[in-house]
Amino acid sequence: LLDFLFLYELRFSAKIAAGAVVCVESEIRGDVTIGARTVVHPKARIIAEAGPIIIGEGNLIEEQALIINSYPENIMPDSEGVEPKTMIIGTNNVFEVGCVSQALKIGDNNVIESKADVGRNVILTSGCIVGACCQVNTCEVVPENTVVYGSSCIRRVQSEKPQPQTLQLDFLMKILPNYHHLKKTVKGSGTPLRN
Amino acid sequence: MASLLHPDRVLYLVRGQKRIRAPLSQLYFCRYCSELRSLECVSHEVDSHYCPSCLENMPSAEAKLKKNRCANCFDCPCCMHTLSTRATNIPAPLPDDPTKTTMKKAYYLACGFCRWTSRDVGMADKSVASGGWQEPENPHGQRISKLIEYYQQLAHREKQERDRKKLARRRQCMPLAFSQHTIHVVEKYGLGTRLHRQRPGAPIASLTGLSLKEGEDQKEVTIEPAQALDEVEPLPEDCYSRPVSLPEVTTLRQRLLQPDFQPAGASQLHPRHKHLLMKRSLRCRKCEHNLSKPEFNPTSIKFKIQLVAVSYIPEVRIMSIPNLRYMKESQVLLTLTNPVENITHVTLAVCEDDDPDDVNSTSKVLVPSKELVLAGKDAAAEYDELAEPQDFQDDPDIVAFRKSNKIGFFIKVVPLKEEDTDVTVSFRMRHDFRNLAAPIRPSEEGGDAAHEAVWLTHHVELRLGPLAP
Repeated sequence: LLDFLFLYELRFSAKIAAGAVVCVESEIRGDVTIGARTVVHPKARIIAEAGPIIIGEGNLIEEQALIINSYPENIMPDSEGVEPKTMIIGTNNVFEVGCVSQALKIGDNNVIESKADVGRNVILTSGCIVGACCQVNTCEVVPENTVVYGSSCIRRVQSEKPQPQTLQLDFLMKILPNYHHLKKTVKGSGTPLRN
Repeated sequence: MASLLHPDRVLYLVRGQKRIRAPLSQLYFCRYCSELRSLECVSHEVDSHYCPSCLENMPSAEAKLKKNRCANCFDCPCCMHTLSTRATNIPAPLPDDPTKTTMKKAYYLACGFCRWTSRDVGMADKSVASGGWQEPENPHGQRISKLIEYYQQLAHREKQERDRKKLARRRQCMPLAFSQHTIHVVEKYGLGTRLHRQRPGAPIASLTGLSLKEGEDQKEVTIEPAQALDEVEPLPEDCYSRPVSLPEVTTLRQRLLQPDFQPAGASQLHPRHKHLLMKRSLRCRKCEHNLSKPEFNPTSIKFKIQLVAVSYIPEVRIMSIPNLRYMKESQVLLTLTNPVENITHVTLAVCEDDDPDDVNSTSKVLVPSKELVLAGKDAAAEYDELAEPQDFQDDPDIVAFRKSNKIGFFIKVVPLKEEDTDVTVSFRMRHDFRNLAAPIRPSEEGGDAAHEAVWLTHHVELRLGPLAP
């Protein structure tokens, strides 16, 4: 079983769609699919340990952000009956600097602010904002347009979803290639290239 | 251990009206009375008002008019953070040509912390960046101001009558000339501060019986009495059965910050103008000298006068504590820092058995009996390589180390109580203080007279922490 997992990790590499900007200094491990117009900063980490990660379009993943599909704590990696669960991340999300996201399902237009921690059993719908340094590790579906803020993680509902960061994405897609090498993207439907 | 440096560990006693124990960093030193002062034994005076976010200065009269609030800055009604103005581009029809649309800027208020926006409560976007936002008017504002006017007039009238009665009584026993003279003098001073009024034998307050002009000009303000209603609006039928939607209910804090409206629903929370903060100056109550006077400019954090205790009194700090055991003697390392530039001599003494200040100590302490000498604080010492190290004959049993204006010394502590509380130690510290503020009187011989040294004694209490398990 250990051999199978070892090969599983080696066989899959990042499938980066055309139009996405993924810096070489970012760490992408496992079966990760990244959609178009997504920007992944250097030192961001996307780790698909216990299953694949599918990231949609227009997302902004900043430095030292950690998106990890890991095994739950009390389950050993090589025990029987562990099915790989896919982590799905929608469009126009922002993962600010230093945040940790383990949520299996994230919708659209969410913002996870700096140093926030989102647990595995949380499902973010759309328009949610998890404030800086807030930890959301409950087992729930966060309703739409919820803002979690403050040292005691109080919540309120805002009236409209946060604006998509189109200006910032455009700027970064222009500037980042001037200073960083980018990972190769998949052209059309060819075989996936290795990093 | 950083917790040993916590300011609450070492307390100095202030002998004012109340006995206050406070860390030296929170105390002031009146160098005219040569005594420590705490915040409770000084009088606080307001210097100036300023807004904490735009740092705009405001004279006191204007502040009073605006109810101590800034004109430009707003507070988020949800999280009390400062609101920032954001701009969006909206298409708006050109005035000349209604068919074409041009991008116009619209401004709205937004909170960066909780993401509240002015659109949440239905406030329309404004076309000017600042000055367009209005606070909603208090629905009872008119009635309240009318009531205030009426009662002010009533109070004034009552005061007049009282004064007239007093004057009438006194006039019978005083000759006319004398009474006219006192009235004249009194009118010049009038109703002064509380001090003036309480002085015994002072003449009575200003008499408006003689100045009829004021009485005639005032219009009679009448008010209608409040009407009691028989019928009260009934509660909604689903008051008890309707589930509460938490995002729509305001918290008590949000509600009470707007006492005019106290809205129960989050959709009625309007932003309020930001409160002004004030700069205050402190004055010693005994000698009326200023102890602390800040700069007038809100952007400056300096002081014009800053008589803080830390720059006059040697500071004791705890450096290391061994394991403290009940009834066993242990050595504690303390440091003494000299804040002034001349050499200071410090003597420590144990508190007497019947010392009234010694209430909190739970242990017996043995302090060094010899005098400790502290070198002066020399700001240029670290750059001056040629300076000879000063030679103080230090007893290694007492003085652990010496470093420019600081020494480390040992005291012996025997905890006397076996309870769970912290071991506290108190002793008296006596040091010499040279008052550089007082003018030097030239001595008769014509020689250089140094400043006289005054010996000050302070009661110091240390909290050493719990007994070792």
